[in-house]
Amino acid sequence: MNTNGNIYTVVYTAIIVIAVAAVLAFASQRLKPLQDANEKAETISQILNAAQFEFDASSNDAILAFYKENISFAMLLDAGGETVGELNTEEAEIVGLSELKAQNANIKNGADYAIPIYFFKNGVKVVPIYGAGLWGPVWGYIALAPQGSEIVGAYFDHASETPGLGGKIKDDPAFRGQFAGKSVDYADAAYILGIVKGGAPEGKANAVDAISGATMTSKGLDEAINVWLRAYAGFLNQQVEE
Amino acid sequence: MANLKETFLNPILKGNPITVLVLGICSSLAVTVELKGACVMALSVIIVTGVSSLICSLLRKTIPNRVRIIIQLVVVAMMVILVDQVLKAFAYTIDKQLSVYIGLIITNCIVMGRIEAFALGNKPWPSLVDGFANGLGYGLIIIVVAFFRELLGSGTLFGLHVLPAGYVPNNLVILPPFALILLGCIIWAHRAFDKELQEK
Repeated sequence: MNTNGNIYTVVYTAIIVIAVAAVLAFASQRLKPLQDANEKAETISQILNAAQFEFDASSNDAILAFYKENISFAMLLDAGGETVGELNTEEAEIVGLSELKAQNANIKNGADYAIPIYFFKNGVKVVPIYGAGLWGPVWGYIALAPQGSEIVGAYFDHASETPGLGGKIKDDPAFRGQFAGKSVDYADAAYILGIVKGGAPEGKANAVDAISGATMTSKGLDEAINVWLRAYAGFLNQQVEE
Repeated sequence: MANLKETFLNPILKGNPITVLVLGICSSLAVTVELKGACVMALSVIIVTGVSSLICSLLRKTIPNRVRIIIQLVVVAMMVILVDQVLKAFAYTIDKQLSVYIGLIITNCIVMGRIEAFALGNKPWPSLVDGFANGLGYGLIIIVVAFFRELLGSGTLFGLHVLPAGYVPNNLVILPPFALILLGCIIWAHRAFDKELQEK
């Protein structure tokens, strides 16, 4: 048989491509539930990390069980700080990254948004942040004390920042450790919570040191934090004043 | 055709893809900071090279010569995506750590090189052995590199502390240039040991 003819080549290539597509579609469909469960457990463990919980992270089930045990309630807020929806905490429902990305666009475009806040039984509340780093998205969670404006802890992650430089927002415990004990300040004109290049000014409670060698990532994270904290202003301010 | 034992041993020793052919250097610099990641990467490459070689060998008599590279590419891409999907489902944290490098196995010259040079001209069984052995030759080297980098760079092995608490981790070891230096040393040692590899 002539395997070099035009028709043979076209038909052969088409068959191979369709066969490969079928295999991949099948694999993707079968593995999707497992992958989604992994992603969800990872997001939950990041929320728990931000809130400074000590928990067993060895399996997805352990993470979910711990979350369900400790979460009080979670809801969606709009710009005015009004509740526009609730998350089912018994099912450990959370707002995933793709949704955060969509809401980030809404916040920046001045459109209506619905952003999540998680309340734990010990009173700590956790809010997500999302923005652009140097190479891709950065996101994270900031945990606030039950009363006042004190920060309990924070956890950040990124899609593709440089390991050892921008990647430190996730990998360096000393960086995220700075956030605990700091506070958010809505009255400060410069920033609500700033990541300051060259070091946070002495005695300033709402600033932390940027990562040297990772200026763009630090800036991106700083913007993400401030844009999102401002989006929660309607709700958080109200909390602070009470 | 050389016998199977030769087919299996050659890529690991005299024809090692990293130390002799100097292929797959990029990923061997990138994924060798920790042993665990390197082991998963090694396993992934072994599976991809082995199975892709097998599939291409099975198809070798039917593949139109003019589009053979494209067909090879489609087969390799399929295997890489499958491996990535399986890792995402069953070893999520490791997949995140290896990030783009699993996807980049497709650009690893070892895979396409072995299909083009071996699988298209040999029967399925030897092709599987050849692909498998080349993956193994690659894997062994990156595991050796990762062993030294994790030990000296973090004082740990598989995440467990093995060096005394007083050891100050060496940051240079964590950075990619050190992997290149180490790789150079391994190539040097390999050549010094095997006189046949030395050019006149």
